[in-house]
Amino acid sequence: MMNFNALPTTIRLLFVSVIALNVSIGFAYGQSAQPPTADPTDAGKAVFKRANCMGCHKWHGNGGGGYGGDALSLRKTELTRDQIIETVSCGRPGTGMPFFVRGAYDEVKCYGMTRQDAAALMPPEGGTFLRPKDIEAVADYVLAHIKGAGDPSYAECVAFFSNASRVCDIYKTASQKPDDASAATGKSQ
Amino acid sequence: MERSSGHTKVSPRVGLLAVAVAVAAMMGTPVSAADEVTPERLLNVDKEPGNWLHHHKDFSAHRFSSLKDINRDNVKNLKVAWTMHLGGVEGGGIWSHGGLEGTPIAENGFLYVTDGWGSVYKIDAHGGRGNLVWKMDPKTDHDWAGAVSCCGVDNRGVALWGDLVISHTLDGRLVATNKETGQVAWQRTVADPDKGEVITGAPLIVKNMAITGVAGAEYGIRGWIAATDLTTQKEVWRTHTIPGKGEPGSETWKDDKSASASGGGSTWVTGSYDPTTDTIVWGVGNPGPDWDNAYRPGDNLYTDSSLGLDASTGKIKWHYQHTPNDPFDYDSVAENVLVDIPGPSGPQKLSLEADRNGFAYAIDRTTGKFVWGLPFVKKVTWTKGLDAETGKPIEYDPNKSVQAYEASVTPSRTNMETDICPGNMGGKNWPPTAYNPELKLWYIPVIESCNHIKVEVSDQNKLKPREFWTGGGPSQNVKITGSVTAIDVTTGKIAGKLETPYPNLGGMLATPDLVFTGQPSGEVMALDAKSLAKLWEFNTGGGVNAPPMTFSVDGKQYIAILVGLGGAWDKWFIDSTPELKKMQPGSMLYVFAL
Repeated sequence: MMNFNALPTTIRLLFVSVIALNVSIGFAYGQSAQPPTADPTDAGKAVFKRANCMGCHKWHGNGGGGYGGDALSLRKTELTRDQIIETVSCGRPGTGMPFFVRGAYDEVKCYGMTRQDAAALMPPEGGTFLRPKDIEAVADYVLAHIKGAGDPSYAECVAFFSNASRVCDIYKTASQKPDDASAATGKSQ
Repeated sequence: MERSSGHTKVSPRVGLLAVAVAVAAMMGTPVSAADEVTPERLLNVDKEPGNWLHHHKDFSAHRFSSLKDINRDNVKNLKVAWTMHLGGVEGGGIWSHGGLEGTPIAENGFLYVTDGWGSVYKIDAHGGRGNLVWKMDPKTDHDWAGAVSCCGVDNRGVALWGDLVISHTLDGRLVATNKETGQVAWQRTVADPDKGEVITGAPLIVKNMAITGVAGAEYGIRGWIAATDLTTQKEVWRTHTIPGKGEPGSETWKDDKSASASGGGSTWVTGSYDPTTDTIVWGVGNPGPDWDNAYRPGDNLYTDSSLGLDASTGKIKWHYQHTPNDPFDYDSVAENVLVDIPGPSGPQKLSLEADRNGFAYAIDRTTGKFVWGLPFVKKVTWTKGLDAETGKPIEYDPNKSVQAYEASVTPSRTNMETDICPGNMGGKNWPPTAYNPELKLWYIPVIESCNHIKVEVSDQNKLKPREFWTGGGPSQNVKITGSVTAIDVTTGKIAGKLETPYPNLGGMLATPDLVFTGQPSGEVMALDAKSLAKLWEFNTGGGVNAPPMTFSVDGKQYIAILVGLGGAWDKWFIDSTPELKKMQPGSMLYVFAL
């Protein structure tokens, strides 16, 4: 079977847009159903998950204190696209924010410092290395969906996780909640 | 139970089961009705030395087995008998992978183990090999639970009752699985991840009840211990570890902003039970926010306490608090080990607890009064010691509402960054101790540590469901090592200490002349019970994060241990043990024999 995720991003995007086109053709004109549109930052969202940004910044990007130290809020960040790319690439010296570029502080210059210069401030190495395109994609995802957003909402949460988990339930407004409380109790299954 | 829907042929697992049953019948092994786990059997586990029926082996939490075919003279010949790869390594929520922290349960040659996401595996251990009989996957909601499990994708094991296997899931359920078929018989929601509650501990079966503890003090929960009647599947009692308004102990929350409503007090380590007084003894975790104790002036009962509960009603009979108004994250969730020692005026009925705060305590389990206490770690900086009379830290001042202890190192609003020893993982975390009743030695799996704490001033606006509520956070600025420390319970003094390169993240097993334990760098080892000299070691190649146990089948003794580093360490504390970064996630059961 073809591994969709293994395809280069551009081809994937092409596929998605072709599918979207087919779907929109499939619906007769005049119907109110909205054709699904491909989000160009989906690739960045995938990086956000794969590189475990959510491990500290959480899915909503607000980060927060706790066992993992204090991951900064990407919702409240004032960093520009270039600064986000630099931070993901090189990490933040003296903090728990890892670097995600292979060779950072060695052959890749980071804040004008080498590993020796950084010494005790050397940030940790990310659990996975990202290619420059991945880092641009995750930066674009943060700019489009996280930076400047207010409190996390149910719609945002479902967009992130789809509907497979109850992780989003707490963001439902009262009117969105099922009145059948037994959904959370008893012998369902 | 994994289903084979969509296939017309009989699934291989069902076939295995049929074979296993047939073989068992041929060998004269008792099946079905004879295997019912009754309250009488659970009270008399000494009559079944080849089995391991309780999470902590017996109600007293000794984790001592009288099996001695493997002993000091021959343990050097111990070899891998068989292994089995398990699942549950996948991540979810904030976690990149799960780990194994469980204690296998053994009954009549069958093992019952869990992985971090709560799948239960029944394994036939007859014939010198392991065969999977069934796997029950509870389909835990990974992201829902994994986003609010502060310290890993963990499940510490099952319990047996009647013809059912009783287990928990991280997303808050108590699940009863038919022991023969692996089908879920029923399940009940006990904890609510929407409130930041998750379950990592194994159930304790007392009479016809399953006792459940909860985790979530880092997310602003109000902790509890709950009893479910396994015959009616209904809750019998639920005792909150933080008193409600007007209840005894509520006066120890002196703030004006309802700090007690989100005050923590988790109960995520399985407790013990004294049938002679019908008392459940259970440890209670830290108050929240962890490091900002000025937010919650007062002693903050019953956080950081050991509780004696009436098993029938859940009523608190006595309590003993170790670290009042805790600013260090020094949980007292540890198991309480129930020990009877001859004393000058008759037998002393003690309850032993090795606390995160670095001190080992013996209290009188009939009254909750302090008997003795001593540091079991090499370095304690937060207090000069315990008051000989009360056992409270000597700096503790009952007239103060915010305790400063050794003020120069204690995290506070005026000391916002500081180093503490033990570090916040504690001198001992959840990994269980073991007690040898013949030698009267108590073995503690120790984390010899310090770490760095940064305080963040808490305010009510920061309190949000499913978000961290810690008032700061730790970081790792020094190397952390470990030890096995033995305490002579007759004297309350340290009898020996074997230092280890890494912290002990797995726990202990005691047999008449040996002690077994492991290291997160991969080694499983056997030590001499008296001298703690290392007599045998095997490198599993995976991080040991679970306690060893022993059982016998076909007349032969085995040692079993789950291997797969997960939990809090490799996410939050790994910088203190950089060499462990090379340990790969894994999920494997090792079984050893002569």
